[in-house]
Amino acid sequence: MRAIWTFALMTMRSLLRRRTIWGIVLVIILALLGIGQVPSFDVSGQSRFIIEFGLFGLEMGALLLAIGLASNIYPRDRENRTIQPLLAVPLSRIRYLLGRFLGAAIVSGAAMLVGCLGLMLVLTLNGFAVPAALLPATLLLLVEGWFLLSVVFFFSFWTSPPLNAPLTVMIFILSQMSVREFVGLVPGASWLMRTLRLLLPHMDVFHIKDPIAHGVDVPPVYFLLAALYGIAYSVFMLSVALAVFRERDLR
Amino acid sequence: MKRISALLALLLLMCGCGEKADYDIAEVAPDEHLTGEHAHHHHHGHAHAEGEDGRDISGAVENRHVHEAGVRNHGTQWFFNQPWAAPFIWDKILRDSAILLVLAAAVLLFSRLAGRRWQR
Repeated sequence: MRAIWTFALMTMRSLLRRRTIWGIVLVIILALLGIGQVPSFDVSGQSRFIIEFGLFGLEMGALLLAIGLASNIYPRDRENRTIQPLLAVPLSRIRYLLGRFLGAAIVSGAAMLVGCLGLMLVLTLNGFAVPAALLPATLLLLVEGWFLLSVVFFFSFWTSPPLNAPLTVMIFILSQMSVREFVGLVPGASWLMRTLRLLLPHMDVFHIKDPIAHGVDVPPVYFLLAALYGIAYSVFMLSVALAVFRERDLR
Repeated sequence: MKRISALLALLLLMCGCGEKADYDIAEVAPDEHLTGEHAHHHHHGHAHAEGEDGRDISGAVENRHVHEAGVRNHGTQWFFNQPWAAPFIWDKILRDSAILLVLAAAVLLFSRLAGRRWQR
């Protein structure tokens, strides 16, 4: 466990040295500021608009962070040949994957927290109350981001970085679909489509922006359930990624 | 060959339960969830305005009524058919999480065993 944590901190430091993370955080903050600048034209409920679009922006940020942070980690390690000495003695493949994932997950979490604070600031500057559930809602989006991060790691072990991004975006879009919409893609094979849909999470489990924006309370137990659901999907995806990684010949 | 057989077996197993295991909330929601409290809890602010001669002049606004904030309203089924508002599917969320964790453990175990065989 100590080796994983040390490697995660190394990963975190190397990710923070890259310009990608700062670029994405800047885009998220600019988007939030832009949302805050849209005039209300005296229409009531502008805070709903800011909360809905703000949380949507944070979800997009989670997707961008997952792709921007993780799609290049393994290919770069392999290209620089740093993976061979790493795996030769100090780390097993599972520790390598968990260390890399944990480092990227911490950076992603910090960036999402900055985004959430930015959204709170935008609401406050516009004279609106900050809903108490805004932070838990962001944490659920972070869990969604961790799932996407594990998807990016999975793809990074057998595809190139330029292919990784569209494949992850495709998984993101398909996971947003309801079962009915997903089956509608190939109506002739509903049984097969329903089976395939089982492999993808229902992303709407992580979305609570509507009740927050409309002032409806969400039961606290639901946050725990949704977080467990996202973590379970991430663990499953990481296990599949590890199975692929164990098969890879690094020579 | 064994791996392909295992994958096929897993796919067949999933196909067997795929039809029933996954669904949209609207497909399985009980009637009381779909109709909600609308029929009972709205304020009947039926503004039966009456003219001086006692005749009802409300006309087109006869059926107007006001709903409490957060209570099911007309055309808001999409809002209440989200997982946070549908406690009857929370056990499915828990079930799926447990199945995925077990599956993850199985994948880890099999990939480890396969890796050892490959190293030999």
